[in-house]
Order: sequence, then C-alpha cells, then structure tokens
Amino acid sequence: MSITATNITKTFGNYTALNAVNLHVPSGKLIALLGPSGSGKTTLLRIIAGLEFADQGSGNILFGDEDVTNVPPGKRGVGFVFQHYALFRHLSVAENIAFGLKVRKRAERPDKATIAARVKELLHLIQLEDLGGRYPAQLSGGQRQRVALARALAVQPKVLLLDEPFGALDAKVRRDLRRWLRNFHDEIHLTTVFVTHDQEEALEIADEVVIMNQARVEQVGIPQEVYDRPTTPFVHKFLGNVNQIVLPWSGLIPGTNVPQEDGIAFVRPHDIELVHFNTGRDGDPAQVVDIHAAGPVAKVAVKRNDGKGIVDVELSRAYLDQIRLREGDHVLLRVRRPVATDYAI
Amino acid sequence: MSPVATTITTPALAVDNRPRSHIHDPAWLRWTLISLALLFLLSFLLLPLAAVFAEALRNGIKAYFAAFEDSDALAAIRLTLITTAISVPANVVFGVAAAWAITKFDFRGKSFLITLIDLPFAVSPVIAGLIFVLVFGRHGWFGPGNMEHLFAPIAPGFKEFVSGYGLDWLLGPLAEWMNEPGMLPVLFATPGIVLATIFVSFPFVARELIPLMQAQGRDEELTAITLGANGWQTFWRVTLPNIKWGLFYGVILCNARAMGEFGAVSVVSGKIRGETNTLPLHVEILYNEYNSVGAFAIATLLAMLAIVTLIAKSFTEWKFAKK
Ligand SMILES: Nc1ncnc2c1ncn2[C@@H]1O[C@H](COP(=O)(O)OP(=O)(O)OP(=O)(O)O)[C@@H](O)[C@H]1O
Ligand SMILES: [Mg+2]
Repeated sequence: MSITATNITKTFGNYTALNAVNLHVPSGKLIALLGPSGSGKTTLLRIIAGLEFADQGSGNILFGDEDVTNVPPGKRGVGFVFQHYALFRHLSVAENIAFGLKVRKRAERPDKATIAARVKELLHLIQLEDLGGRYPAQLSGGQRQRVALARALAVQPKVLLLDEPFGALDAKVRRDLRRWLRNFHDEIHLTTVFVTHDQEEALEIADEVVIMNQARVEQVGIPQEVYDRPTTPFVHKFLGNVNQIVLPWSGLIPGTNVPQEDGIAFVRPHDIELVHFNTGRDGDPAQVVDIHAAGPVAKVAVKRNDGKGIVDVELSRAYLDQIRLREGDHVLLRVRRPVATDYAI
Repeated sequence: MSPVATTITTPALAVDNRPRSHIHDPAWLRWTLISLALLFLLSFLLLPLAAVFAEALRNGIKAYFAAFEDSDALAAIRLTLITTAISVPANVVFGVAAAWAITKFDFRGKSFLITLIDLPFAVSPVIAGLIFVLVFGRHGWFGPGNMEHLFAPIAPGFKEFVSGYGLDWLLGPLAEWMNEPGMLPVLFATPGIVLATIFVSFPFVARELIPLMQAQGRDEELTAITLGANGWQTFWRVTLPNIKWGLFYGVILCNARAMGEFGAVSVVSGKIRGETNTLPLHVEILYNEYNSVGAFAIATLLAMLAIVTLIAKSFTEWKFAKK
C-alpha cells in the first residue's frame, strides 16, 4: 500500500516542525527518512501513523487511494515501532506479540489456537522461537527490537513505520539487524518507512532516501543518486565529506558546464585527482601540508598556492605508496568528473 | 627481583594496603550514629506505640474488650469505615484520573493543576475544615440560608424553562425543599466528614502516580492504540498493570490518612456522640472524660492500622525493588 503525504505542515506553538512537506512512498518499498536531529522526521512519521495531527487545513495523508487524514491510528492499519521499543513490560514476549489480536472486537478476534499459531509463526520469523515465555526485561536490546517488530506485524498492517529502529543498539548489532531488516523486507514487501540520522544506514538498506532538514524535505532519490548528485549544499555536506572550493579554481575540467566565475564548487575528497607538480599535467598547483595514512584510505590535506584555502583529498594507500608522496611536496589537483557548484546559496 | 619488576609491584601493593577511610568511617563513629538513630526511633516512635498498648491493657484484657462493646465506640468504628470506604475509592478515581491527564496529555494550566493537587498538604487541616464550614454552613455559599439568594439570578429563566416542559408542578415542592433548614445535611453529618476526608487525603494517590507515570512515558499506550486497542483496553491492559504497585502504595497511605484524620474532620463533624464521631474524635472524647483505658483501647485500633500500613508499605517497596 503506497503512502502519500501532501503539503503537511505542523507547528508546536510558534515553532514549525514540518513546513509544507510532501512525501510519496511507493507500494512495497523500503524508504529511509534521513536528517539531522530536530529536522522533523519523527513528527512526520507520527503524523503518518495518526499519533499526531497536522495543522488544521494543511494537508492530507493517503494510504493507496484512501484518505486517512481523519482516521484514528488504531484503524489506519499501521505498524509503529518506537525507538525504545515500548514493549509491554508486564507481558511475556508471546503476549506482547498477541496483544493486537487479543484486543480486537469479539467478532473479528481470531480464536485462541489461531492466535497461538500466529505468534509461533512470528517468533520463528524474528528467530526467537524459544523466548516466547520471557519478559522484556530479560531480553537484549536487539531481541527487544525484533519483538517490537513482530508485535507490529501481528496485526498485518498495511504499512510499517519504524522510528530509529536501531538507534539504541551498539554498532555491531546495528549492522547485523539492518541487514536482517533488508532481507526481511525483501521477503514480505511491506511498505516501510524508517527514520534514521545515520546516513550510512540509510544509504545501505533503503530503496529510496528522503533527506530532511529544518522542517523540509531537501531531496528524494535512490541512495546512489542522492550521494552522487546532491541538489543542495546541505545534502552535499550531510552525506559524507565535501570540499567547498572557492572559485575560480583551475582544478575544474575545462569545457564542462561549470562556470569559472566567483562561487563555490562542492567536490568530494575522493573525486579529486592528485599528481606531482613535475608531471606537468593540467591542474591547480598546491602543496601537501598533512598526510594521514591510518586505515585503507589516506587523507591528504593540500594548501592551494593561490592562498584560497585547504583542500582535502582521499587517495588509496597503494597510490600513495606508488607516487611516494611526502608532506611539503608540490602537487597538481584536478577533479575526476564534473562537479556541482554554487547552489545559489 | 629485577628493579623494573619492583617499580611495577610497589604501587600495586600500596593501592591494596591503603586504608579505605574515605568509604568506611571509624568504627566508634559508626556505632555512635547508629545508636543515636536507634535511641531516637525507640523513644519517639516505638515507645509511644508500646505505651498505647500498655495503657489500654492496664486494667486487664476484659476491660480492654469492654471498651469495644460501647455503642458509641461501635458507631465511631462504623463511621470511620464508611468514610474510608467512600473517600479512598473516590481518591483512587480522582488520583488516577489526575495523574493520567497530567502525564499523558498536554494542556493549558497543567502546572497549575499539579500545584492544586498539593494544596491539601499545604493547608492546615483545621483551615480545610473551616473552608467546608464556610461553604456549607448556615450562612455559607451553599448553606441552607443562602439557597434562595444563590438561585435568585437564574430563577426566572429556570421557571420559564421548567414551564416550557410543562413541569410547573415541580416548582412548589422544589421551593419548599430549598427553604427547609436541614435540606443539605452536609455539615455535622456524614457527607461533610466524607468531603473533608477526601480533601485531606486527596494528594496521596496522585502524588505517588505522577512521577511513576512520567517515568514510564506514553509510548506503551500509543503502541496499544496503533495496535487497535481502545481507550478502555489501553487503560486496563497497559496503564493499570504498569502502575499497580504505585497505586497500591498510594492507596495504603491514603487509607491511613483517611482513617486517622483528626483536624479537618473535627471541625466539620460537630462531635455528636454515636452519630458524627470518627475513631480519632472518639478517642479524644473518651480521653477528655478521663476514661483513659477506653481511649487507649480505641487508640490501639489506630495503632494497629499504622502497623499494618507500614508492613504493607514495606511489602510494596520490596516488590518495587524486585522489578
Ligand atoms: N510535542 C512537541 N512539543 C513541542 N515541540 C515539539 C514536540 N515534538 C517535537 N517538537 C519539536 O519539533 C522538532 C522536530 O522534532 P522531531 O522529533 O520530529 O525531530 P527528529 O527529526 O525526529 O529528531 P531526532 O533525530 O532528534 O529524533 C524539534 O525541534 C522538536 O523540539
Ligand atoms: Mg526522532
């Protein structure tokens, strides 16, 4: 079931948490809402779930073709997972998972055996078959997260909404669990929106990334697209490192659509080619001031000869060894491919 | 042993042998403090309690039980039980509702409401009692002498409204009822005692629940709602189980206060023997009449209430700690 949010505005007092936001999540896709803290991700997710309402007369939410703007959360068919799981602490894992089925009206409630079978099936799905009798306090963070997910799935929601699902876990569990979520999504193809402020997480598992900043959607696209072709300086800076190079700069490729006037070019450190000055190639003359070679990629800081600042360059270790680069060496810089400049900031 | 090894082991040994004086105070100081605390507890808390029982049993067990055969004593016990049976459940409902509203919703005037909940703790019980006298007394706002004045401004409209429904026949008896002196037997009667008791014991439940529910947040309730539970189901299946021990704790404290309240109740009760005396008031009356065995015998009931309360309280605390 697709989700369409149109022109959503939300204010708290005189603070605008969402400013005319539009969002479309195609049916069956896994979408990441990515943005810095306070950008409005959780608020948007809660509005989609119906836990919060957009400002009067601002916009509407569609699930498929159905307008759910005024449908209460319990009737929307959403599975919502909170960052801190919000498991019912007085209920066992199995009872937690069964909760949504047990609270149904008598006419719609499955019988005991059906509920038990469904719980068993879900416990299998989250790979916790043997832990149905445990209480939330007796589980690890990653296990709790999966129980919360199973509980949301038990009612067969039309869409799944996850607020920083891995936010409270350590790095290793986090990586394992996000792969698990990706595989899991590939199996069941439930329309899923997950919130994160970890760009690596978003780029790794999402079909599409929605980047939010200051109550607005900045850019939407598949991971590679938003990484390679950011449309705003914010996105450029938010997704990985970027040099802001003051123009004019002779490191740009001549003849591309880049203006050589005043302005700023945004270039990622690994998109810059570095050669020794005596090779006599095209490029901007500069001098190496610092080499940081721990790890697979060497980070080199280079000072422009025209005095317009420092440029960070990333080189492979093999290349660094091959050209025997030393601090103080004179070099030439040139971009590998056309770059974005000056977004009319 | 090489010199290097020595330099490494020496500081390690030094750390091990260092007296941990900053954690453990000298023994004599510890024991002095403990004895002081014990002595204080003994003389100010335990001794009086023992004295109550000793005094009650001074003339033997027979005299002790005779005190409970007095019909006025039985009436006092009954009134206290009735008052408690009404005011504790009422405060459970008010307290849970207030705590629920304060912790699960945002609304204007929330901090004012929180302050208001503490009011009964802040005012002297005597003042609380006097407020009820002011409100329900003979010339009080809702007192019998003031009913007509109170309704005067709305009377014409009310008459029109009633006539509009063809209910004129109601007006006569209504006016009669309103002018009767004893029409609202609040003061010097059970309703007044119950109201005063509710007032003074209100904060216990709410005060106990608010921090607990605040710490638990709203996420579990919101989850229940997204899973399709209605408000009732959310309350019974999620909120209540989460607060049950805190609620129990609040209830026993509220109960102890409701049974033991003296000040506010003494102002509104009128102290009519056998009618409007609660246990604490009855103890006072007996004592003033130099019937000290009777007074202390009744007082043992309140003392036992205190002991049971403390045991129940420790039990809940232990239960809390286990979680
Ligand atoms: N109930 C509320 N009352 C007032 N302000 C709120 C409320 N909820 C959110 N806000 C504000 O709205 C803004 C957006 O909040 P939101 O929780 O959506 O951010 P977020 O992108 O999820 O951030 P994070 O990554 O830190 O979770 C924040 O500045 C926050 O202070
Ligand atoms: Mg958030």
